[in-house]
Amino acid sequence: MEQEIKKPYKIQSAKIMKEIMGNYFLGMKDTTKKIAWCTSVGPAELLRSFGFEVHFPENHGALLGATRTATDLIPEATKLGYSSEICSYLTADVGSYLKKQTPLTEHYGLEGPPKPDLIVYNTNQCREVQDWFEYFAKEKGCPVFGIEPPRYVDEVSNEAIENVAAQFKSLIPICEKASGQKFDIDKFRETIRLSKEATDLWKKVLWTARVSPSPISFFDATIHMGPIVVLRGTQMAKDYYTTLLKELEDNVVKGIGFLEVEKCRIYWDGMPIWGKLRPMSELFAANNAAVVASTYCNSWVFDAFDPKDPFESSALAYTEIFINRSENAKEKILKKLIKDFNIGGMIFHEAKTCFSNSNSRFGMPLRLKNELGIETLVIEGDLCDLRFYSEGQTTTKIETFIEQLS
Amino acid sequence: MTNYYQGIDIGSSYTKITVIDENDCVTYQNIIKTLNRDKQELANIISKIKSDFNIVSICATGYGREHFKDSHINKTEIYCASVGVSALYPELKTIIDIGGEDIKVIKSGGDSKVDDFYMNTKCAAGTGTFIIEIAERAELELSLLSELAAKSEFDKELNSFCTVFAKTEIMKWIFDEVPEHDLARGIYISIVNRIAKIRMDKALPIFLIGGVIQYHPFLKTIVEEKFKQRVVVPENPQMINSFGAALLAKKHALTEMKINAI
Ligand code: SF4
Repeated sequence: MEQEIKKPYKIQSAKIMKEIMGNYFLGMKDTTKKIAWCTSVGPAELLRSFGFEVHFPENHGALLGATRTATDLIPEATKLGYSSEICSYLTADVGSYLKKQTPLTEHYGLEGPPKPDLIVYNTNQCREVQDWFEYFAKEKGCPVFGIEPPRYVDEVSNEAIENVAAQFKSLIPICEKASGQKFDIDKFRETIRLSKEATDLWKKVLWTARVSPSPISFFDATIHMGPIVVLRGTQMAKDYYTTLLKELEDNVVKGIGFLEVEKCRIYWDGMPIWGKLRPMSELFAANNAAVVASTYCNSWVFDAFDPKDPFESSALAYTEIFINRSENAKEKILKKLIKDFNIGGMIFHEAKTCFSNSNSRFGMPLRLKNELGIETLVIEGDLCDLRFYSEGQTTTKIETFIEQLS
Repeated sequence: MTNYYQGIDIGSSYTKITVIDENDCVTYQNIIKTLNRDKQELANIISKIKSDFNIVSICATGYGREHFKDSHINKTEIYCASVGVSALYPELKTIIDIGGEDIKVIKSGGDSKVDDFYMNTKCAAGTGTFIIEIAERAELELSLLSELAAKSEFDKELNSFCTVFAKTEIMKWIFDEVPEHDLARGIYISIVNRIAKIRMDKALPIFLIGGVIQYHPFLKTIVEEKFKQRVVVPENPQMINSFGAALLAKKHALTEMKINAI
């Protein structure tokens, strides 16, 4: 079929982001700095307040997925006894370590992820991170600390906040020992302030997609979320989102969107399929379907941060994240998003190896369809392991879904 | 000059072509193997159609739709199935399309709208490939499978969802000297039981389409037994998606003409 050639829409700030992310990775080369590993929704601000550079293994996992190297690396971890059906970030990352192979070498000249002085995880997202981080703590011979908040909460109770805040506080002596620095509440407040400002900007960035035509797609957002994941609590993250927001707001004023005409607006649930980001984005764009909202990218919107109350507010922020909520609470959040973003259809990505972030498994799509009359589609795939993804069949499913919505 | 519209359904096993006239009457149909290395065969067929008919619009569907360069529009086979069957049976229904490598279950409105659909994306269990593989292991002649199954009262199924393991499973039946006609019926039951696990509206009549039902007509009896519903196999069930595509080609041409007239 003859396709009309359109000028591709590009977010110009991407260049700056690339530079920032490059500097972030290059910064890890500095052997004088203390390094902490942290889960993506772990207490990064507290760690930064001790002067740690923070490495996020999930970010590395996503990189292994996006570069499509994961599928070769995962079998290395399965040889060690890990099932190929558990978190493919974990298996890809462990495989990368065992095989001494990482895209960080080609892109940033790093031999691998930086050597940790401390490893911290938070099971607010899943139990897998516990096994994953404990494995590396043993391998690297460094201290490890786990935060274990109440899981799948309806609303976050005061007891839960106190509980998690207390766990954060008990991390202090461990951080002091590993960093060689004394805890400084003002520094902690300052990182929370910077994080709060960056996360507010990130939210505004994502919320520009409420406008039609939207200036940013879900697929763009999965790229531009880099700094809010790995650099929150720094001035750099804040500056970046100030720039990005300005560009997107300008585009809104000019009426420029990533699609000229949006035939339908779609919410994406769950993880991205990292190795297929571009073809996926092109598939939707070719069908004039705008994927404009996700709870995945919203995971780094932390409304609750408050420098006046750094422990309690971050305990709340990190416990009330979508992935840690009950089905009921998730449904409420989704209903609001559908309304706010004027969504006509929802695609649920059932990621084979991420149980926690696949929300189709307890009947949610059908419940929402019956209740709201919204069209829903479940697609099977995975974040990193492309062996669980059938491209031809999934393309047909997505195109049929778009036909249904249009 | 009379106008004609062409639908081409490029499936994983076969490519089906239908040409219709202004009155939606089928004036030409053809079917060839999709992975025929001799690409010239399809090219010859297409150019013969072009010289025989005044084709004003072409719609491509099926897995290979994106690779067909001459089409004016591309639509999914799910939508084309709904359009094709609805043109013949304008009622609310379930369409079950059993193809070479997948099964699609479509809730289709009388107006052709796809209300809901399901498609397996995990494996080939319960598809044409499943029948071919299992029948081969059981040394049953594929073309006689329906005839054989019709003679049987057997009521067992192969449990494994995996085609390869189901092949191992049927070995046990063979060792137990299960007669050929029972093996044949057992294979069909296995297919239908896999379909029965898919969510569908039990109150709706079922329309069976696709290559598998064309060559295995006895499946209809098993579907009737299992679902206790009116089951219809439209004439030429393998061609129905290309017929739907031809109808969409026509709709596209008429809309374009209207736009141009404005
Ligand atoms: S949430 Fe899912 S993808 Fe993320 S670490 Fe846990 S299991 Fe892996």
